[in-house]
Amino acid sequence: MMTPELHFEARVVMSSDVRFLPVMRHTMGNLTSELGWSESESRTITLAVEEALTNKIRHAYPNRPEGRIQFEIRIEPGELILRLTDQGVAPDPARICEREQDSLKPGGFGTHIIRDVMDSVVYQTTAEGNELILTKKRPAGEGL
Amino acid sequence: MNVETRTRDGVRIVDVSGDVDLKGSPVLRKTLFGALKEAPKVALNLAAIRYIDSSGIAVMIEGLKEAQRLNRDFVLFGMSPAVLDVFKLTHVIRIFRVAETEEEALIA
Repeated sequence: MMTPELHFEARVVMSSDVRFLPVMRHTMGNLTSELGWSESESRTITLAVEEALTNKIRHAYPNRPEGRIQFEIRIEPGELILRLTDQGVAPDPARICEREQDSLKPGGFGTHIIRDVMDSVVYQTTAEGNELILTKKRPAGEGL
Repeated sequence: MNVETRTRDGVRIVDVSGDVDLKGSPVLRKTLFGALKEAPKVALNLAAIRYIDSSGIAVMIEGLKEAQRLNRDFVLFGMSPAVLDVFKLTHVIRIFRVAETEEEALIA
C-alpha cells in the first residue's frame, strides 16, 4: 500500500517581539523531530530559523516591537520550506555573512549559521516585503 | 532562563539554566560582567543550558574580552549538547578556556 502524501502548511503573523521566539522555537523543534531529523539536527535547524527571526527583529524593526513578521512553513515531499517576510528595513547584502571566522567580534553569527545549516538560502525583496526563503532537504526514509 | 552566582574556593561561579536567547542574553551579560568586576576568576557553568542562540555566544565573547580588559581568569565548563552544537556552528570554542567539570574549572 502506498504511503499517503502528507500535507502541512502553516502561516503565522507575529509581532517583532522577542517574547514570541520561544513559541516558534518549540514549533520548529517539534516539527523537525517529527519529520525525522536527529535531536542535534533538529536543534540546529531550529537555531537557524530563530537566527533568521532574530535578525528580522533586530535589523528589520530595530527597537520596534510593533513590526510584523510573516512566517510560513510548508512541507514538500523532499524538503521543508520556510518563508519569512517583513516590511521593515531591507537587509544590506554587504553585511550578510560579513563576519570573518576567527574574528573576536561578538556579533554577526546569525547569517553564517543560517547558511551552514540550510540547503538553500534566498534573500529577495518583493511587493510583499523583504523575504528570506530557507529550504532544507528532508532526511530519507525517516519520520512522517 | 535563570542565572545565579555563587563563590567556591575564591572562584565566582555563574550557573546558567534554561534557554539563552535574545531576551535572556542581556541578563546573562549583566550578571557575567558583575561577576568579573567582583572576583579574580569567573567560571561559567553551561551544563543546564537547554537552548542557546548566537546572542548567548556573543555574550560569552564579550565576557572573555571584559576578562582580558580587567586581567581576570575566565573559564567555561559543563558543555551541554545544545551548547556544543552552537559552538561547532560558530567555530569560536578555541578562543575560550574550557573545562569538563566544575572541579577542573576551579584549577584550570
